[in-house]
Amino acid sequence: MDFESIPWMLILPLVVIQFILMLVAIIDLIRVSNTNGPKWLWALIIVLGNLIGPIIYFIIGRRNE
Amino acid sequence: MVSNFSILFQKEWRENVRNFKILWIPLVFLLFGITEPLTNYYLPQILNAVGNMPEGTVFPFPEFTPEQIVMSTVSQYQFIGMLVITLGFAGIISRERKNGTATFLYVRPISYTSYVYSKLSIMCILVVGSVILGLLANLYYTNVLFGAVDVGAFVGFLGTYIVWLLFVVSIVLFTSAAFSTAIASIISLALVLFVQFIDALLGAYWTISPWKIPMYAGYVLNGSVDKKPFIWSLIITLLAIVLLIFGAVYFAKRNISKTKI
Repeated sequence: MDFESIPWMLILPLVVIQFILMLVAIIDLIRVSNTNGPKWLWALIIVLGNLIGPIIYFIIGRRNE
Repeated sequence: MVSNFSILFQKEWRENVRNFKILWIPLVFLLFGITEPLTNYYLPQILNAVGNMPEGTVFPFPEFTPEQIVMSTVSQYQFIGMLVITLGFAGIISRERKNGTATFLYVRPISYTSYVYSKLSIMCILVVGSVILGLLANLYYTNVLFGAVDVGAFVGFLGTYIVWLLFVVSIVLFTSAAFSTAIASIISLALVLFVQFIDALLGAYWTISPWKIPMYAGYVLNGSVDKKPFIWSLIITLLAIVLLIFGAVYFAKRNISKTKI
């Protein structure tokens, strides 16, 4: 599949939403004082974890107590 | 009583803005609503690009109907979405008991009913709102890539699925009122995910069950629902929701009076 034939109008919202989700997770990670496990590891998971990384951070990494 | 509720609700709202739940929960449902039709549509190309297939390999890919795409999105919601809801809100009442916020109820004339209702409302807004947002985006993508879904059937499906969501919300609320955060997450996960699995495995023997509501929602979408077991499941589920909420108020009250001040 060449570059021209990719339907960017359909893909773009996905990329934007994923980026916002990652950004929100990173901002949250910077603001909270404590996470379950080391912070740098969560930063890696959020950035490299693609779609699922930020979600895993929010449900497991974030200490809700 | 009414002003109590609005004060408590504003507190809940501020808290969920501050911990970003108001942002990330809708985004997660939106994300899966969009990815599901896209990946299903482009699966042949994706496999060709990454799969190292020999030239000219042809797969007999099944032709999906628009309804199948919507239902495969729902099955994503039924796993990842339910995980987000149960784990994300397991501490909604138990956390406040632990950190002492809840003791303010003990020294002020605020009713436990409005306390629990404020929690219930914020959860309903977040969960139901996010799922509606995600499913509307999903409907749009499915419409563009796979074809139109009957609007009447979709509304019926959405209404049915919202009943299931309210059931999940009331389970989480009840367990959080009755137990500590850790135990509440385990019990609500078991009640939502594990029982659903069991029901899917052995459920051929009965037709009336709250855990069958998502399945019936799919039948409503296809226009092939058997009315009698469907209506009875809805009634049982609504009854269970009411009982769980009353239970949540009872346990919230009992457990706060047990905590040391």
